[in-house]
Amino acid sequence: MDRSGKEAWKPPRACDDYWSEFRHCKSLKNCFHHYYTYGTSPSCQQWKEDFHNCREWEKHRATESKEALQRSERNRVAEQRKFTPVWELRQSPPRDWHMPLNQEKPQDS
Amino acid sequence: MVQTSQPKQEEEYGYDLFPGRNTGQHKGRSFTESLLTFNHKCQVMLQLATETSPYAKLLLSAMKSSGCKVFKERHFSCEDCDGTVSGGFDADSSQIVLCQNNIHQQSHMNRVVTHELIHAFDHCRAHVDWFNNLKHLACSEIRAANLSGDCSFQTEFSRFNFGLKQHQQACVRGRALRSILAVRKINREEAEKIVDEVFDTCFNDHAPFGRIPHDKKDAGFAGRDYENRGRYYANL
Repeated sequence: MDRSGKEAWKPPRACDDYWSEFRHCKSLKNCFHHYYTYGTSPSCQQWKEDFHNCREWEKHRATESKEALQRSERNRVAEQRKFTPVWELRQSPPRDWHMPLNQEKPQDS
Repeated sequence: MVQTSQPKQEEEYGYDLFPGRNTGQHKGRSFTESLLTFNHKCQVMLQLATETSPYAKLLLSAMKSSGCKVFKERHFSCEDCDGTVSGGFDADSSQIVLCQNNIHQQSHMNRVVTHELIHAFDHCRAHVDWFNNLKHLACSEIRAANLSGDCSFQTEFSRFNFGLKQHQQACVRGRALRSILAVRKINREEAEKIVDEVFDTCFNDHAPFGRIPHDKKDAGFAGRDYENRGRYYANL
């Protein structure tokens, strides 16, 4: 989980991205779309918290802020992955994706 | 809409909707014919869709990253189709069919291209058994209806479907059901049962968008996330 790679840790998104997601989440249009999809109003507070933690980390390199941000994002990923998939993912793309179309290919080959 | 081919069973898998497929003949056309026909209009609208629709652009990027780079000449085909069908994905030839006689507006082309690219994307990233597994078919249809804008408020409104609360879900169910019934010989009850079984999983599978793109702005945000995915996963 810990990267001993060359690049220092930075927030998963640019701080401005958190703010724009927050503004987008709160917008009338998004509230409407959320109601149209889920029948409820969206919960946007987490984006605002993430923005503040991101800025805190940028200014003071606070470990608490870094960890809070990581927790929040890992939670988002977990939310997306919590359903058992219907199919098995591939390790490599289908072999015939790039095969040329053979217009004379017999139907039963 | 998805088709797979099996020799001598064309009707069973929906191929009869696409009379131009698998004729074993390459149809040539004169330059003048091409300019003045639905075919030319289809090609132009396709080009515009792949260049300007944020939905299509994200899918094309995602497919390239997954090893399935899309070439217009190879992976798209503008053809005449039966009835009111707009398009299909032929898993056997890895081609997206666009129904040139049934798509007349750019917004419709954008949606069809996105819808079929979602099938192609699923084909590329997963072992989808289009031919034998109706749950797989249903899942891809649910995703395509959900993520392509097929069920957006504006699109449904233009069809005079005026639902509001949770209407997206009702629309996705309905359209997935219709798509399955159009290409497979099963009864409505069976098809409904299959859609119900996979609905929760597939409605919540938003790959590669990461969210349900309700409009171009959402799709733009999804595109930004996609471009940023390297940094994102490296710093989780």
